[in-house]
Amino acid sequence: MKKLLSIATLAAMVTTLVAGEVMVKGSDTMLNLTQRLAEAFSAASPDITVSVAGGGSGVGINAVVNNEVEIGNASRSIKSKEISNARANGVNPVEYAIAVDGLCVIAGPNNPVKRLTMAQLGDIYRGKIKNWSEVGGPNKPITLYGRQPNSGTFVFFREMAVKAEYAQSMRQMNGNSQIVEGVKADAGGIGYVGVGYVKDGGITVIELSSDGTSYSSPLDKSAVDNGTYPLARPLFQYTNGKVKGDAKAFIEFELSPAGQKIVEEEGFFPLNKSLVEKNQGNL
Amino acid sequence: MKKTVVATLLAILAAGSVYALDPGQTELEYNGWFRYLNQSAKFKVTNPTASRSLIERNYLRASHQWSPQFFSKLSMDFLSSSSFADGAGVRIKEAYVDMALPIPDFTLTAGVQKHYFGLIYSWDYTHPDKSLADAQGVCASADYGVTVNGFLPKGLGELQLGVYNGEGYKYTGAKNSIAPELLANLRLTPFAGVQVGASVFAKAKDFSTYKNDKKGRSSDGTKFELGDTANMSRFALAPMAKVAFGPVSLTGEYIVYSYTREYGYYDLNRDTTGTVIDSTLAPRKTKDYAMSGLDLMPMVSLMDRKLEVFGRFSTWERKEQSGDSMPVNLDRSLMRYGAGFNYHFLRRAGGSKPGVAFQLAWVREQSRKEGADPVDTFMAQARFEWNHLFSAQ
Repeated sequence: MKKLLSIATLAAMVTTLVAGEVMVKGSDTMLNLTQRLAEAFSAASPDITVSVAGGGSGVGINAVVNNEVEIGNASRSIKSKEISNARANGVNPVEYAIAVDGLCVIAGPNNPVKRLTMAQLGDIYRGKIKNWSEVGGPNKPITLYGRQPNSGTFVFFREMAVKAEYAQSMRQMNGNSQIVEGVKADAGGIGYVGVGYVKDGGITVIELSSDGTSYSSPLDKSAVDNGTYPLARPLFQYTNGKVKGDAKAFIEFELSPAGQKIVEEEGFFPLNKSLVEKNQGNL
Repeated sequence: MKKTVVATLLAILAAGSVYALDPGQTELEYNGWFRYLNQSAKFKVTNPTASRSLIERNYLRASHQWSPQFFSKLSMDFLSSSSFADGAGVRIKEAYVDMALPIPDFTLTAGVQKHYFGLIYSWDYTHPDKSLADAQGVCASADYGVTVNGFLPKGLGELQLGVYNGEGYKYTGAKNSIAPELLANLRLTPFAGVQVGASVFAKAKDFSTYKNDKKGRSSDGTKFELGDTANMSRFALAPMAKVAFGPVSLTGEYIVYSYTREYGYYDLNRDTTGTVIDSTLAPRKTKDYAMSGLDLMPMVSLMDRKLEVFGRFSTWERKEQSGDSMPVNLDRSLMRYGAGFNYHFLRRAGGSKPGVAFQLAWVREQSRKEGADPVDTFMAQARFEWNHLFSAQ
């Protein structure tokens, strides 16, 4: 019995997260951004390795709840049910916003439709509007591109724009890059991607309006910051309790001017004042 | 007017959402548990009173999400049993629809569904044996009814309010009384690692002939007991708590359960030779029953959650009315304790639910009956569970 306990203890020690390594998992929207931040951080702090994996926001939150990683990436807020389950298992999810995303609605490069209302966008993704001519465009069937259900972007866009089930005809793509490529090659295509994925151009970024009078672009920092752009969202990282150790050093780097510069270079927006203050309360 | 009512109802529905899956998705799930069980007195495993292999669970579940507002699930329990004419049977364990309510994170569930009493609905079989309320017949884990389910804001907990038949999912139609069971369940998670709560149910009357099966002569031969017994004023309360710190957790509940049984019988009149010469219908009588029990389960999760080591300690005390007093029925009061482990070879996608696991548990049951030997039960179980999502496309 003593021997069995020793083996179990040893095995537990071996599989315990290795010191000097921070594991991050979750949102695919945040994958490239976090990877860039990790590379820059490791260059400045060579003793600490940051491993980054995708899988979707739900996977990232679950990984924190199950104590599999130090940091879970999520492009949506954690749900009440997830917090309740986490707490019952002794995990206290703490939220840090690391960047702001203006989720972009994109169309092919030559599409004359430059503006949509949120109501039109919802009708398009619910399958009610099927042709570009119904929103002032050419007589061309609309091809819908979107994410897979494990993606936080899929959930965010559904809750903010679709407000019902997606049309069954929507092509569910693996990631943002695949959506961009799909829409670029499809004159009737429409898709939604993180703002970090439109910086290379070659596509139309559509301006959106909640009320049908004032339109704003996700590329306009002030519109995203002041909430005028209807598809702006913070990008979160979750930890079990207030972050500490190597993971804290990494998150502090992400929130530092150097980290926020990378956020901008990757096409996302740096944190506004209220998000910075909220983060400070959790550090 | 009609249009306005319909439009209002639709607007209310559209305000809420219930996302178990994504709209258009269908999930197929299978739970299979193959168990070997050895039962003996005082560890005499080579001379067991029971030694058998069995399929303890054989569930096939299908779920579908129509829209953000509607979700449904069907769970079927396929049984192989010599008690069925064909040697096999199917039971419906769950068949319900979830509808979103306009309050965020609140849903209405209608159909055969989880019965939210004590630990019974959250019992995930870390210990392969049943939860205390299930094992002692306080209530079944599923029943026919309607429940309002809700999660409190900021992860503070959850609650359920339900109305059920109250006799459990195995009983239908004529085997259900007209008195509904009312149930309330509350779980609070005020801090990480602390969960507290309580469940309570009350039912005015059970139609319980099927349960008590007393049609026949009493053991002392003085009565012919009738089958139309009924459990009156059935009531149960179960406070629970769970504390978890890192890989260690302790889950416990305390159950109090009571009912009054109403029964009828004929007095059998015998001659001097003991032969029954006639019988007299006696006035119906009642008898009170009061039970209480404690269940504690400590657990340590090791090796990145691959290995779970657990213990268990339970008590159950049954008191039965005898005249004006309520003495303990020692034959039906007991203490159980034991230990075991689970090894998870694989977990399902998402990381929480078991995929392929091996479970081993030992349980010692000590009846409080004077002179009774303890009964040792060993359970070795292969647990294999999978699910697959089918998207709309």
